[in-house]
Amino acid sequence: MKRVEVLEAVAQRKSTGISVATMRVVPGWANNGGAETQHFNVVGCMGVASSIGLGLALAQPEKKVIVLDGDGSLLMQLGSLATVAGTRARNFYHLVFVNRIYETSGHQSIPSSENIDFAGLAKAAGYNVAAYIDDVGVLHERLPDLLQEDGPVLLAFEVEPEFDREPFPRGIPPNQQVAHLREELVGDGRTD
Amino acid sequence: MVESSIKNFAESVSGQSMADELRELEITHVVTVPDTHQRTLLDLLYESRDIEVVTASTEDEAFAVHAGLYMGGARPMLIIQHVGVFAGLNSIRGISTDMKVPTFALVGLFARDATKELRDNRNSAVRQITPLLDAMNIPYFELNSANDLRVIREGYDLSLENLGPVFILVGERTN
Repeated sequence: MKRVEVLEAVAQRKSTGISVATMRVVPGWANNGGAETQHFNVVGCMGVASSIGLGLALAQPEKKVIVLDGDGSLLMQLGSLATVAGTRARNFYHLVFVNRIYETSGHQSIPSSENIDFAGLAKAAGYNVAAYIDDVGVLHERLPDLLQEDGPVLLAFEVEPEFDREPFPRGIPPNQQVAHLREELVGDGRTD
Repeated sequence: MVESSIKNFAESVSGQSMADELRELEITHVVTVPDTHQRTLLDLLYESRDIEVVTASTEDEAFAVHAGLYMGGARPMLIIQHVGVFAGLNSIRGISTDMKVPTFALVGLFARDATKELRDNRNSAVRQITPLLDAMNIPYFELNSANDLRVIREGYDLSLENLGPVFILVGERTN
């Protein structure tokens, strides 16, 4: 299954939700239109995408929050699975792209690359729903319903490692993203 | 009566008075990796109905959850221990500072010997916290008695003004 196949399918269902993307997911998500509104890119601080997404979910409980995470990134903050599950955030959807390598730094294997089961870890931590998908047909069949389940939901997508580096999109400079998204969501021009 | 010749540089402040200050600031969320030093404050907040406490597994996560809350329109702050500053340093750098997130934290100086200046403490986290914050250009205030409670509002306001981190160093265990 290719990462872009998943991103296309998810982007079609973002609707009025908020998205958070990190690392190599960032370019593909932008190219599929997912980053146009209510979106935040986590670059320069690997591992915290799900935590930022959790904060957004807690502050905006009426909006669906979709986190597009990497397997290596999630391993950096594996305890975040417990943090998320402990809040029982019903609007939190954690999508993990599992290619079992560190794609940016040279395709080194992630720890326990052959065995690690992110859906199993999430379910054991207390996520409401956790599923593993490695087939594009199953993706299209199950994704609509899975994104309607009460969260926290973790979906682990087995995707092929990629070697062509999509360039990161030009967009809002990192140090302006926070103010921009806050303005989109709160819209009062205040910082407090 | 022989008066003690030992000077205390910090006295215990009540958790209730600190909670009252947070309510004055209209704090909506507290993100914490629980701090022994501020346990009485945390106990009050966990029981409260007007402030939601989010318990994180690590301080790196805590600063990130805080940033998400802020972007979503909440009025969050953090309660952590001094070692949590060291543990969460990458998020403080990459999120609070680089991404310009107003970040206000009460930082408990666990194991601080109140009869000694911070720099003379045996505990390395107590001794090294202010040099670390100075090196990172992170403003901080010391809360060493009830007379210092005003620094909570001052620090919070400064974090908004700076769009960055400001920490309050809680000098003695809260009561």
